[in-house]
Amino acid sequence: MSLRRRLTLSLVTILVLFAINVGTHFWGSVARNESMEAYRNSVDAARLSTEVEQLLNDQRQTILVLSTIRENTGDMLGQDEYLQAQGQIGDIRDRIRQLGRLSRDVTRLHYERLLESSDTLLRQWSAFYDNYNDADYRGDADDTLPYLETSQRLKELEQHQSFIAVQRANIIDRTIALTDRITVIGFIASIVLTATLGFILVRYTNRSLKKLKRGTERLGGGDLSYRIENIDDSGELGDLAKAFNAMSEKLRNAMYDVSQARDAADEANAAKSIFLANVSHELRTPLNAIIGYSEMLHDELSDPHEVDREQFQQDLEKIIRSGRQLLALINDILDLSKIETGKMSLHCEDFQPGELLAEACDAITPQLRERGNQLETADFSDLPTLFNDATKFRQVFTNLLSNACKFTENGTISVAAREPAGRPGWVEVSVTDTGIGMTAEQQSRVFDAFVQADTSTSANYGGTGLGLAICRDFCELMGGNIRVESAPGAGTTFTVRLPSDPESTRAAA
Amino acid sequence: MSGAILLVEDNELNRDMLIRRLTRAGLEVVTAGDGQEALDVMRAAQPAVVLMDMNLPVLDGWSACRAAKADESIAHIPIIALTAHASEGDRRVAMDAGCCDYATKPIDFPGLLRKIENLRGTP
Repeated sequence: MSLRRRLTLSLVTILVLFAINVGTHFWGSVARNESMEAYRNSVDAARLSTEVEQLLNDQRQTILVLSTIRENTGDMLGQDEYLQAQGQIGDIRDRIRQLGRLSRDVTRLHYERLLESSDTLLRQWSAFYDNYNDADYRGDADDTLPYLETSQRLKELEQHQSFIAVQRANIIDRTIALTDRITVIGFIASIVLTATLGFILVRYTNRSLKKLKRGTERLGGGDLSYRIENIDDSGELGDLAKAFNAMSEKLRNAMYDVSQARDAADEANAAKSIFLANVSHELRTPLNAIIGYSEMLHDELSDPHEVDREQFQQDLEKIIRSGRQLLALINDILDLSKIETGKMSLHCEDFQPGELLAEACDAITPQLRERGNQLETADFSDLPTLFNDATKFRQVFTNLLSNACKFTENGTISVAAREPAGRPGWVEVSVTDTGIGMTAEQQSRVFDAFVQADTSTSANYGGTGLGLAICRDFCELMGGNIRVESAPGAGTTFTVRLPSDPESTRAAA
Repeated sequence: MSGAILLVEDNELNRDMLIRRLTRAGLEVVTAGDGQEALDVMRAAQPAVVLMDMNLPVLDGWSACRAAKADESIAHIPIIALTAHASEGDRRVAMDAGCCDYATKPIDFPGLLRKIENLRGTP
């Protein structure tokens, strides 16, 4: 359950309890007021009954006295006395009516009966006063029945009113006790419920927060694989945990990317250092010959008897050869560096690949003879014209042929060329030798810079170790590719495929 | 034990040049073209000092050095490393392999002669 819903639920529960308390208070108050009014009515009615009883008693005494006076003296009743007496009777009637207004349903029956008997009584008394001065009139004022009956009924009403007053008082007591009890229970329930809800809220929220805190600490400590598990909170804290996990995931991925990039940079840096060390090594080898022979010749020249012109000339040729090798090496390094920094550009022109291949084959003749190798060439005349970099084309095949010569002794080097099936306008040239060959492991590294099949190879066969790296880079620059097939002792075949126009393959790629 | 110097070098030019310069300096020189041959010659001829290139075919210079130091009959022969590997790390690797001195190419010939003389002087 979400934090907001928990809080809302708690608030609503507390409000409901509060409303119950307030409602109870008002209901109790109303009930009390109602009972109080009824009680007051009853008290008023009881007081009124007592007054009426007193008046009735007084009036009866007066009538009894007047009746005795009339019989014995025959005195007339004055106008003033008559009006006063009728006024008193009217007063009694008014009070009884007043009593009627105070009488509710429960005492109505008693009141009706009182009214009935009092009417008879008051009519009898009124008639007594009306006919007082009539000598023939014989009233029934002596008849005590109506008075006793009225008196009796008045007492009954009074008793009943008292009974109801007591009853109302009891009800008030009970209502007060009940409302008090409800208020106390409601209050206690509110406290208990609030405390319970608060406890649950704090406990669950605290548990989730602790998990989040632990996660943050672990993540902050560098444990990027840490994930917050078992969040039983489907609300805001659950969402926060999910967001946290998503953040950890992204952080981990970012860190992984960064470390990959760093590794790649380190690798590139290490490769650069190795490259520099290799360059230094490669430059020192021909320099050793150049400086060594020069110093030696210099020493020999200082002793005129020793100079052997023929030997001297041969030694100078060695210096020149080493110098040229040094130059070739520097050119190769510059080429490779240009390729690696993306500054090597293509100078495309139309040329016949067959012509350039034939030139490269001619140029290799001295090296072929040196190692006793035969060269077999196919017919190059059918090859399509290329629009590509002729200089780089020539360099690739000069390198490949020179390479084949280097690793083959008293064998055969063959050059085949054709337009590959399914690739119109392309040229595929393969240079095959019957030399020492390579293992699969050696083949996988053969195009890397400064790598010859093994360290002893360069010692045995010379070379910069850059030729094939340059060949591969040139072929790719020209929009084509180069691959090698070989087995130890079974010779090697390098196959180059080049498009007629480097732009066409780049557009297709 | 002979007073000869064993030159182990596979590069023809460098070998030819050094043989001539060492001979001219009055030293007797024997040669070997690879690490294995070098060990064989050391055992047979017991040279006074060995000048060993490190990039050698068949058995490289470092392995040849270790093999020589493991063989009691030739372990005492001092070996000077001749190499185009010029860094301090390369020097340490050569010394760890058992070389007692180190000369980088291009070779400072008078310096090399001094090293040889020093080593031949020690009994």
